[in-house]
Amino acid sequence: MITTTKLSNGLTVIVEEMDHVESASYDLLIPGGLIADDGSTVGASVILSELLCRGAGPYSSRELSEAFDDLGVRHGEGTGLDKFAFGGSLVADKLEEALRLVSFMAIEPRLPEEEIPNIQSVLLQDIAALKDNPARRAGVELNARYYPTPYNRSSLGNAEGLTNTTRATVETLHRRFFRPDRAILSVAGRVKGEEVVAIAQRLFGEWKGTAEVTPLFSAVAPHQYFPIEVESAQLQIILAAPSVKFGAEGYYAGKIAVSLLGASMFGRLFVEVREKRGLCYSVYARHGANNAYGTVTAYVGTTPERAQESLDVLVKELYGLKGTVSEAELERAKVNLKASLVLGEESPGSRASSNATDWWLLGRIRPLVEVSTEIDKVDVKGVDSFLERYSFRPASLLTLGPKRLEVSEELCRR
Amino acid sequence: MSAKFRTHTLANGLTLLGEVNSANVSSAIGFFVKTGARDEVPVESGVSHFLEHMMFKGTPTRSALEINMQLGSLGAQANAFTSEENTVYYAVVIPEKFEEMQVLLSDMLRPALDSGEFDTEKNVILEEIALYQDRPHFYLFENAFEDYFKGHTAGNSVLGSHASVSALSRDAMKSYFDRRYSPANIALVATGNFDWDGFVTRAEKLCGLWKNFSVTRNTPRHPGKTGVTQFRRKNLSHAHAILISPGCSAQDPDRYALSILSVILGDSSGSRMYWDLIDKGLADSASIDSDERDGTGCFLAYVSTSPDRLDEVVKIARTILASPLNFTDGDLERAKSKVVSRIVLDGELPMGRLMALGMEWNYRRETTPLSEIVRRVRALSRRDVESALSKYPLSDWAEYRLLPE
Repeated sequence: MITTTKLSNGLTVIVEEMDHVESASYDLLIPGGLIADDGSTVGASVILSELLCRGAGPYSSRELSEAFDDLGVRHGEGTGLDKFAFGGSLVADKLEEALRLVSFMAIEPRLPEEEIPNIQSVLLQDIAALKDNPARRAGVELNARYYPTPYNRSSLGNAEGLTNTTRATVETLHRRFFRPDRAILSVAGRVKGEEVVAIAQRLFGEWKGTAEVTPLFSAVAPHQYFPIEVESAQLQIILAAPSVKFGAEGYYAGKIAVSLLGASMFGRLFVEVREKRGLCYSVYARHGANNAYGTVTAYVGTTPERAQESLDVLVKELYGLKGTVSEAELERAKVNLKASLVLGEESPGSRASSNATDWWLLGRIRPLVEVSTEIDKVDVKGVDSFLERYSFRPASLLTLGPKRLEVSEELCRR
Repeated sequence: MSAKFRTHTLANGLTLLGEVNSANVSSAIGFFVKTGARDEVPVESGVSHFLEHMMFKGTPTRSALEINMQLGSLGAQANAFTSEENTVYYAVVIPEKFEEMQVLLSDMLRPALDSGEFDTEKNVILEEIALYQDRPHFYLFENAFEDYFKGHTAGNSVLGSHASVSALSRDAMKSYFDRRYSPANIALVATGNFDWDGFVTRAEKLCGLWKNFSVTRNTPRHPGKTGVTQFRRKNLSHAHAILISPGCSAQDPDRYALSILSVILGDSSGSRMYWDLIDKGLADSASIDSDERDGTGCFLAYVSTSPDRLDEVVKIARTILASPLNFTDGDLERAKSKVVSRIVLDGELPMGRLMALGMEWNYRRETTPLSEIVRRVRALSRRDVESALSKYPLSDWAEYRLLPE
């Protein structure tokens, strides 16, 4: 059973009771994230979420870390593109004590100034290390070129912005965004709804204020090929094109269309690029969406001599889907999506985060039966009309590696 | 938890293990084959992993495409992996699909090894090797283990090299299969929501005719080595180092004590490595692990940082490792809480239990309930760590560094 309660300060508390587990998971989402950073301090939000762990309320940095460990909480705190997130899993009877620590971090962080240089140093190292991970770097480089500012920011921030960040920068960010009115606390596991709401009231009830609005998304205009030439064993090939937003009309048809292309094992890209031709180890297409935009991303990593053929086959499959989907193929993709829904039901961590995401993006939680029914409703015609509307072209393409590729007019033409 | 543990052995030696929990939403199933890179002779380097790929590439009754499509239709979260010592094929499905999944996975374990598919898949493997060439961290681990375990099969490369994989023939793979994939060397494990009796009956029918033969593996202890080895690579922006010392094997009762010590010293947060290196901004990655293998093992530390700081970072890591007993009772209790919590959380899902049961069987031919493992961790004392350190003093280190050219 899922219950949703809005506290008087605006904090939304979502609880899913799960009887078959002993554990509980929580997610606290707070608006802000990388898009909230000023242009001169991109990455300040990342420093902020690191700094929240370095002392809060009555706890010093070390005491806070030890308190989490004493409770056996598997936890993580981080900065997303448009939000700050605190997540954790633990044995359910310690939930209140764990959330107490989270409430101190969110509401009363100490933000110790002397820790900032250490955090900057690690984050700058992370940015340097990106060069040693070409697959990840290719994604970051494409996002930087494909999305409009500030939605094109890397989850690591940038070196200049990190260096420019001071205690005042993070304190201001915290004051502007760490407010309860649009925040969501989602809990799932062996818990009781009313008890969790009472806990939230005790811990977060006194939290006050209104978070500032984050920048709106402006349109993308993909049509370019961005080759980045570096020495490496493989060439990274990644492209992005607009797709449907989260929960918008055609959303489920879009999810299915991209799964027909990009799923591991049975997707057309896996079968045509890897299984039949042996051109690569890693190939996929993914659908990413939120309430601002939807994006289809397709990727293949391969050695330079196989790269042109890999791209050509990938493009052929990407644009050859419309009008060629069989009933059996569609059914397979639908069964697969529904099975992963059911499998996700069993873990408190995935339920807490899925409920939080639904509320974040839709302002409501989709019951599993609704999602399942919507998937069932998608037919071949629905997939085709989705592909009519979102043709995945023009796309933006980025390659990272020792050579450039021939790019067809079809792919990047405006 | 209402989990019920069951076990059965087929006449041909195939071990069946199960932990039934009807409250689970899913069922997990997997074949745990006790074979891997260390069971290869040099000319076969990479064959265990390549063979794992070939299990998805067709059987006498199913084409590669049919296997892919059926896995899709089952909505299975299916995959496989190969390590130095184990090859595991597994899937998580909703309970209604368990039976069909068992039939499919059992069929896959008797591959056709079609030569056309073999040639195509060889290219996929070569691409996987190229992928890891672009990951310096992987390159260092591969080279460090090869050197540290020189003269011992535990250091064999899982992927093999471009040359060794290119030279592999279909017949060489077949003879490896015929030498290693005896039912006596395999456990079929299932966990979660499934019917045990049906599982056993189907296993009899599907796997009962697999031919039994004897399989062996030499498991000598490796004495370890010392010294500093430096690797250099072009176009590298980060520096990495690994320190390795003799540690306990997967069969050694001291593994609990050394494992808790590795958490105290080198867990990703709240450990001594964390406070002295990450918290201070000196390294972006720092960890310590007890790497327990079949009959041997090692204790290892890994750090990564900017090249100009590597000396300083390695020196601090060595200082931490030189005084392993420098922890409080509070540190020990916290580490125990962390480990217990991980065991309990991982054990909550059928997939977590599947891996724990299968690996335990491969290494120790034992099955231990979750509650007993938790009890053993809870019971650990400083004296246990001292006693483990008297056997494994962590005093002789081999050091491997990777730096830009």
